[in-house]
Formats: sequence, structure tokens, C-alpha cells
Amino acid sequence: MNLAFASAAAVLFGGGAFLLLQRDLLRIVAGVALISQAATLTLIGVSRSRGQAPIAPEADLPVSDPLPQALTLTALVIGLATLALLLSMVDRLVVVFDTAYQQPVPDEEEDQQEDQEADQQPDQEADQEADQMADQKAVRTAGEDQHRQRAEEQPP
Amino acid sequence: MTASSALPVSLLVPWAAGAVLIVLDGRRRWVAWGGVAALVATLLVLLALTVQVVGQGTQQVVTGGWPPGVGIVLRADALGVTFALVSVLVLLAALTHEAVTTPRVPAFPGLVVLLAAGLTGLFLTGDVFNFYVFFEVSMTASYGLAAYGGGADQLRAALFFAAVNLLGSFIFLIAVAGTYHLTGALSMADVAQRISTADSNAALLVAVGFFVAFSVKLGLFPFHSWLPTVYAGASPAVAAILSGAVANIGGYGLLRFGSGLFPAQLRLTATGLIVLGAASIVYGAVLATSRKSMAEMLAYSAIGQVGYILVAVGLGGPVGLEAAVLYSVVNALNKGLLFLTSGVRGPLVAGAFAIGALSVAGVPPAIGFLGKLELFRAAIVANSPALVVLFVAGSVLSLLYLFRVYQRTYWQPEGGDDGSVSGLPVRALAWALAVVVVGIGLWPQPLLMLSERAAHALSGGAA
Repeated sequence: MNLAFASAAAVLFGGGAFLLLQRDLLRIVAGVALISQAATLTLIGVSRSRGQAPIAPEADLPVSDPLPQALTLTALVIGLATLALLLSMVDRLVVVFDTAYQQPVPDEEEDQQEDQEADQQPDQEADQEADQMADQKAVRTAGEDQHRQRAEEQPP
Repeated sequence: MTASSALPVSLLVPWAAGAVLIVLDGRRRWVAWGGVAALVATLLVLLALTVQVVGQGTQQVVTGGWPPGVGIVLRADALGVTFALVSVLVLLAALTHEAVTTPRVPAFPGLVVLLAAGLTGLFLTGDVFNFYVFFEVSMTASYGLAAYGGGADQLRAALFFAAVNLLGSFIFLIAVAGTYHLTGALSMADVAQRISTADSNAALLVAVGFFVAFSVKLGLFPFHSWLPTVYAGASPAVAAILSGAVANIGGYGLLRFGSGLFPAQLRLTATGLIVLGAASIVYGAVLATSRKSMAEMLAYSAIGQVGYILVAVGLGGPVGLEAAVLYSVVNALNKGLLFLTSGVRGPLVAGAFAIGALSVAGVPPAIGFLGKLELFRAAIVANSPALVVLFVAGSVLSLLYLFRVYQRTYWQPEGGDDGSVSGLPVRALAWALAVVVVGIGLWPQPLLMLSERAAHALSGGAA
């Protein structure tokens, strides 16, 4: 039985880790969800105990341990909340970028580096255009100029 | 305030204030200042708690009046209050920085105060699972903060940050499950007692799980991939919060779980930890030297600086632990000062930045000197010339990269300085932080005493 729990948790974790490395944002979220389930399953699996329900037990019989259930419930609630948060972030990203694919981050980091090395005038204008296009795609907050603002490190 | 009330009140104040602030529009000035007031109140309660801890020893409260072993234990010892104090101080500075410039996102003050609630709870809990809950409270608040600004870069960085750190959180949860399986307890005191009789291989595995989880938070060398993107992409206040307050979770966790709960496993892997820490120092310093933008340089510098903490934890012993506590505090304050100052321009601001840079390099009288001094002491006590050389090289490199950027930013007319001047309050805040950094360096007795007691509390087991 332990082996079944362990292998199920391992499969969930492995699948989650694989999905986490994909470029599709929804798959990343699904990966996080699977890994959270792997953790929940581990919590249940490592603390199984047999006995009566711990509410008003008879004195001489063994009582099952209620603590793991409480931990699992708490972990599930936290997992649900983080999942909702991640999904809302993906939603915003899809609105801003109009794509559900993660841009490769290291490349982007390099790009930024180059941006800052090059003289900033032409880049800035390109950024502005990009920002304006993003604007038209219903960016709702006032933070759209962040990119340029950060380049100049200048609070308003 | 009686002995038992300061501890719960220190958790209640930021939690209640945060719950109210999060539904208000944080772009209004009075809401932001309300958040500042809540953090000041938290800081005052924590100071009262610190005085109690120093005067009367560890404070302990079992929630709900349950007998110990059933109820969740809240414990305030020197280690916990030290970390709580410095984290809330950095949060206060960052929120004040945003309050004087008016936050651009409604939820910002509420999130910062809730982050303070999560961090205070995490540093003051005596229960492993309760630690996980507060850990998630703080991390959820920081995911929201990482997206602060709502720009495309911030969102992308925030999603990356959230995905990597959630992976770390669930590894932590799995390690908690393992701890419960091995010891049948969740209270830190019981776990520390029973872990020595547990199966040593399984205990090592669980300890590695905790180590990975905290290294991800801290951004140590092999687990750092999320860090440069997020720190460089975030606004200065958020970067200060992440590196000065949220990263403390990692340092505290390494100390509490490594030295406090798994001392045998820590000794077994000490060499490995020192090697990883050294790799982190070299990697961070070299890459920081190669970066030209201030934000990226500071991000890589952060990777290097946490390496010192890991090396000190690996060295262990009273001196090593004291150095680790002290350096965590020093690093949080340095990073808070540098990141907040990095966005400010105007007369005398370069001086505040220079003080932060000198502090990172370990030049007296700034606070960084204390941290470096303790590190050198730890390396000499451990009889390791190689580590002394490493620390010297790291310090020299940090001086190099900080002043290269300093020159580029403040001395060259086109180096990001377009002649505009930040408002007086923002500059005053930068200077206030610089004064704190120098002030603690000039009068270090309270901090030294606290970190010595913290190291004592750790090496003395659960006591």
C-alpha cells in the first residue's frame, strides 16, 4: 500500500515537473496543480493510521490520527488559492501579450542587457509603440510605462 | 504589556490591518499611510517583544489555550524576533518609499502589510506545519507584489517567480510530511528531540527537502534561476521587499531547520554546504561585475551575498551561527538600502548609495563591517585559510562591481541621470536608511547581543 502511495505521488510529481517545463502557460499551471496534489498525497500516504473516528472514541480501542486529515485539508485550501492566483496571472498575461506561450526568459534577460547597452533612443520608441499596441488590447492599469520607467530608474 | 500578550498581538496587528487595507484603494494617500502606521505599530510591538525575550528568555504561547502538544505553539526566541524586526523594518522602508510617491496599484499597501503578517508569523511560530501556512501567506503576498506595476515584464517575471517558488513550497510540504512520518510530531521542540532516534537515511532525505525549499527562496547558486529576472524586472520598492524581507525566509529556514532541527544532518553535509555557498559567492560576484544596469547588478549581487550566509551556516558552531544571523540582518538592510536608493536621483543620494556599497564590501563604520568581521572570525575559528581568501576576494569583487555601477550611474551625465531630481521625502528616506546602516555599525552592541543569543538558542537545541 505504501508503494502504491509512493508511486502515485512520484508519477504526479514527475508529470507536474514535466508540465512545469513546457512553454504553454496553462500547462505550467497544470504542472503546479499536479505537484500540489503529489504533496497532498504524500501527506496522506506517510501518516495513514487505522482506528476509530477520533470524535468520542471508546476508551480501549485504538483511535486513528486526526492530524494528517487537518494538514491535508489545509494544504488543499492553500493549493486551491495559489492555483486561482496563478490562473489570474495567466489571464492577465494573455490579455497583455495576446498569447498563451511563455517567452523564453533567459533570452529576454539578454535582450534587456542589449537594450541597455545600446543607445536607448530607437529602442525606446519601439517600446513605446509596443506599449501603445498593448494599450489598445485593453491593458487596464496605469502601469504600462513600467518598462521605460525602469530603464531610467525614475519614480514619478 | 504582560508576558503572554505581546506575541499574539504582534501577529494580530498586521493581520487585522492588512485584511482591512487590502479592500481599500491603496492609490489614495491615506490608505498608504495607514499601511505605514500599521507597520510602525507592528515594529513597536516586536520591539516590546524583543525586550521581553532579552530580559526574560524565550516567550511561548499555546494558541486557543490547548495543552501543549495539541495546540499550535507560538514561540519567540532571539533568532525569531531578530529576523522579524529586520524584515518589518525593510517592509516599512519600502512601503514608506511608495507612500511618499503614491502607489500605482490599489492592493499594494494591503499586500505589504499582509506580507508583514506572514513573515512575523513564520519567524515566531514553533510548529512546523504552522510555519508552512505562514510561509504560503507570505509567498502569496509576494507573488502579488512581484506583479506590481502590471507591466508586461513584471507579469512575466511574476509568473516565473510564482511557478518556481510554488515548486519550492510543495517540496517543503513534502518534507513536512516526511518529518511527521519520522517523528510523529510537528512542534519544533519535539521534532528536534525525536529526530536523533529516527532512521538517519530518511532524516537526511527530509533535511535535503527542506534545504532545497529554502535555497529556492534565498536564491542560492543552483536554485537562483528565477532571481535575476524578478529582481531586475521589479520596481525598486518591490525588489527591496523581495531581497530584504522575503529572502529572510530562506536564511531563517536554513538556520532554524538546519541547525535547530537537523543538526546531525547539517554536520554530515557541512562541506557540501560550504562548497555551494562558495560557488554562490563567486558566481554572484563575477556575474554582478559583468552587468551594466544597476538592477541586474544588484540582483546578481544578492545571489553572491546569500552565499556568505550558507557558508556561515555550514561552518556552524556558536561563531558560525552568530555570523550567519548577523550577516542575514546586515544583508537585508544593505539590500533594502541599495534597491530603494537605486531609483532615487538628486543631491546627496549618491552618498547614500555609496554608504550601502561600502557596507556590502564591509568597510567600517557601516554595518557590513560587522558582518564581514564575524565571517572572518568564523573562518579563522574553523582554521580555513581558503575561506578567508574567498571572503576577501568576494569583498574586493563587490567593491569593484558596486563602484563601477556607481560611477556609471552617478558620475556620467548620460548614465541614467537625466538631471531630474526626486522629491525631498524620497531622498530623505534614502538618507534615513543610510543613517540606520551606519548607526547600527557605530553602536553594534544590541545587534551583536541579539545574534549571539540567537546562535546560543540554536546551538542549545530547543531551549
